Amino acid sequence: MDFFSNLALGFATASSIENLFFCLIGVLLGTLIGVLPGIGATATIAMLLPITFQLEPVSSLIMLSGIYYGAQYGGSTTAILINMPGESSSAVTAIDGYQMARKGRAGAALSIAALGSFFAGTVATFLVAIFAPPLTAIALQFGAAEYFSLMVVGLVSSIALAHGSIIKALAMVSLGLLLGLVGTDIYTGTPRFTLGIREYSDGLNFVAVAVGVFGIAEILRNLESEKTRSLLMAKVSGLLPTKDDFRQMIAPVLRGTVIGSALGILPGGGAILASFASYTVEKRMSKNPEEFGHGAIAGVAGPESANNAGAQTSFIPLLTLGIPANPVMALMIGAMIIQGIVPGPNVATEQPALFWGIIASMWIGNLMLVVLNLPLIGLWVKLLTIPYYVLFPIIMAFCSIGVYSVNSNVYDLFAVAFFGFIGYVLVKLRCEPAPLLLGFVLGPLLEENLRRAMILARGDPSTFLTRPISATLLLIAAAVLLVVLLPSVRKKREAVFQEED
Amino acid sequence: MKTLNAIIGATALAAASLMSVAAGAQTYPDRTITMVVPFAAGGPTDTVARLVAEAMSKDLGQQVIIENVGGAGGTLGAGRVANAEADGYTVLLHHIGMATSATLYRKLPYDTLNAFEYVGLVTEVPMTIVARKDLEPTDLQGLIEYAKANKDTVTVANAGIGAASHLCGMLFMSALETPLVTVPYKGTGPAMTDLLGGQVDIMCDQTTNTTKQIQGGTIKAYAVTSPERLDVLKDVPTAAEGGLSDFQVGIWHGIYAPKGTPAEAVSRLSESLKLALVDPNVAARFAELGTEPSPETDATPEALKAKLEGEIARWKPVIEAAGEYAD
Amino acid sequence: MRSSKFDTTNLLCGLLFIGLGLFFAIQSLTLDLGTAFRMGPGYFPLILACALIQFGGIILVQSLRIEGEAIGHIAWRGMLFILPAPIFFGLTVRGLGFVPAIFLAALIASFASSKMKPLTALVLSFCLTIFSILVFSYGLGLPFRRFGPWLGF
Repeated sequence: MDFFSNLALGFATASSIENLFFCLIGVLLGTLIGVLPGIGATATIAMLLPITFQLEPVSSLIMLSGIYYGAQYGGSTTAILINMPGESSSAVTAIDGYQMARKGRAGAALSIAALGSFFAGTVATFLVAIFAPPLTAIALQFGAAEYFSLMVVGLVSSIALAHGSIIKALAMVSLGLLLGLVGTDIYTGTPRFTLGIREYSDGLNFVAVAVGVFGIAEILRNLESEKTRSLLMAKVSGLLPTKDDFRQMIAPVLRGTVIGSALGILPGGGAILASFASYTVEKRMSKNPEEFGHGAIAGVAGPESANNAGAQTSFIPLLTLGIPANPVMALMIGAMIIQGIVPGPNVATEQPALFWGIIASMWIGNLMLVVLNLPLIGLWVKLLTIPYYVLFPIIMAFCSIGVYSVNSNVYDLFAVAFFGFIGYVLVKLRCEPAPLLLGFVLGPLLEENLRRAMILARGDPSTFLTRPISATLLLIAAAVLLVVLLPSVRKKREAVFQEED
Repeated sequence: MKTLNAIIGATALAAASLMSVAAGAQTYPDRTITMVVPFAAGGPTDTVARLVAEAMSKDLGQQVIIENVGGAGGTLGAGRVANAEADGYTVLLHHIGMATSATLYRKLPYDTLNAFEYVGLVTEVPMTIVARKDLEPTDLQGLIEYAKANKDTVTVANAGIGAASHLCGMLFMSALETPLVTVPYKGTGPAMTDLLGGQVDIMCDQTTNTTKQIQGGTIKAYAVTSPERLDVLKDVPTAAEGGLSDFQVGIWHGIYAPKGTPAEAVSRLSESLKLALVDPNVAARFAELGTEPSPETDATPEALKAKLEGEIARWKPVIEAAGEYAD
Repeated sequence: MRSSKFDTTNLLCGLLFIGLGLFFAIQSLTLDLGTAFRMGPGYFPLILACALIQFGGIILVQSLRIEGEAIGHIAWRGMLFILPAPIFFGLTVRGLGFVPAIFLAALIASFASSKMKPLTALVLSFCLTIFSILVFSYGLGLPFRRFGPWLGF
């Protein structure tokens, strides 16, 4: 069968000494840069992109993919250790991962993230290898109406992100959606809510908002009580997950892998929903939903697996169509073109060694990542013993560099300070940042696809119901809403909140 | 390949040092030059810039590094360079947007025609008129008739205001004298995805984005907008062959320096650009993108100035007629 | 649990959301609203802003019924030194250059903690600067000048 000879070719390409070396370098560099606070996968790859130009095409792409996984894992590490997500995907990891770290279980959280990611990565790599073309065909069925309905599902499930007041979570989502709309309206070119500042005409920078509302707000919260309370980390207990942890993580990892693989295929922003969706599912499935937000293992294992599976399958549109699914993939295409490979629908037949080599290196990269990072966990956890007052000037310096390096835009740094302030105020008012961030990434997609669907349907709103995929998604949204609003369920939720308070 | 590059590099370096000896005590450039690209890393303009910058570095003997200052349709990066020190160490590589933003933006923070010195034209990427693969018409003439007959249902995708596909789409509609249903996207990726999925009908975009898809048969090509057929797309007729005689449009790229940059620096950069454009590596990569380097006569300040002025005048009525502004 | 007192935190929270909602609503009204079938740029944000005001209102009403915990300490000193650090970096990175900008930004942020001693702050900022220069400037070749024109280079 073709598949095995192709895969053999891929592994032969990827496991040449040279390519293994570049894969390792990529994973290592990606992890090391990505673990710097405020520097996520996109910024890491943009910074490391020029380094790859001197290499052979296959090696350079293998190295770039390595950087991508490394950066993503590094981003999760900072999310867990210091509540500083560098990408939308690790924002979810921060919710429970950081709580685990505060309880002295940082090592376990990092191991769970690494192992879950590896498992998800392995499964997703084989999905990419076996089913890339048919999955692409499904992804192309998704038009504006389908994406809108998908975003509605995401929005409805966002309620589960909150572990406090539902109404506050809804307000935060609305605020996030509004903040996501800042910038030029693509349909008319009208600048919205930019206060006349041209630097915001492409919208607010995600990293600036995420670093502000999560990271800086957390720094300020720790600073307020430093006189009265000696600092935040309980003693670190056990680096590795216990048997019980393993038992708890299996199901969430499996579910996360499925969710992430499915959503990652959609080039119109499906992957950003992956970790949010997984979190929602885990919270719903859990026997102890009250643990979520206070260091639930499933809250780390599920989203991290989903996130990594999505990262793998988001290569599918790139490899089968030559179309980038996200900014990181766009950077990869730029790298390919500079190497003299213009990606397109024929890349698999024209460049089989490259195509299968990248797929094989995905798996090798994930393996290296896990081998490399399990021993490093001890080191990362040691970082927590650094006194906090030494840590945060370092954090501030790196986030300044990271945010500025992407677009050399001073206003992005003003946004960091502003959202740090807003984030702190909201934390003080007992509002949680995760729903705001979800709204922020969904806002533009929701509106864009709604208006596009209406244009394509010549102003006929029934398009959302007559298109089968869209209708199914809306049904799912309605079902989720129903579950949330059912009186008995609500009572249970309220009981849960009262326990918390 | 590697050795070949090394030999070329060495030759270029040797040539450069000979030239600087010939020119006497020439000290420019004595440090890194920053080339501002007003778009995100990884995009087509960034790719052009990185290829040219690498070749120019070899000749100048100093690194030419890329700084991506994206945002607001390229006007933020252009504004940055307009206000930069005019010492020859900051230059701008911008595309056709330099001319169209003069009309698209009613409040620009710089005066397009008076804020820059001109270094030269780099390349002109042709455009292609493409459609979903199951659209009925078989040739451009058929497409025009089809579009005119179904003007309320035919949809034209573009990658957002000011994008190449937006400009070309506007020009196409003005050539047809028929407004069609415009569907904007945020970037070429999602627009192309919907074209592949058959969700929208027509798009007009750079060969950089369309060549591989046309070759792969995933979309249908009706015309290229260059005066001649392209080597990489031999079967696709030009717009003139297809019946749109004046329909020529390309995404041209030029290099600019801030107003007041010393003339020696500008001419040195211009010389270096000429050398970069005959670099075989640059030519080979450009060819794969479906474009070719500007001829030596166009890599000059005069040619760029004339192009910019001509293009501002050309696009002003088109944009004003469409009534779409970006601010 | 209930008491006649009201929850200050939620009161402020409700007011904040209403205020933000009003800001976006007023801004949206200056934009073209269009119709439900052909939405203008103001349509979608106006709906969201109204939702936000409504949620703010509910939080406000609820706050009058339940007593809550106090807001607690506020990190005035933290805000005073942490928030200006990235702004300072942004404003000086081009003029002073990367090296002084990162050094001073780190130094400013250091003083947010009362535990930080001046000497420690200087040493920390110095080490951090060296690390950043090695990694970002030399290692990754970020296109920032190390020393900027304001210093006469």
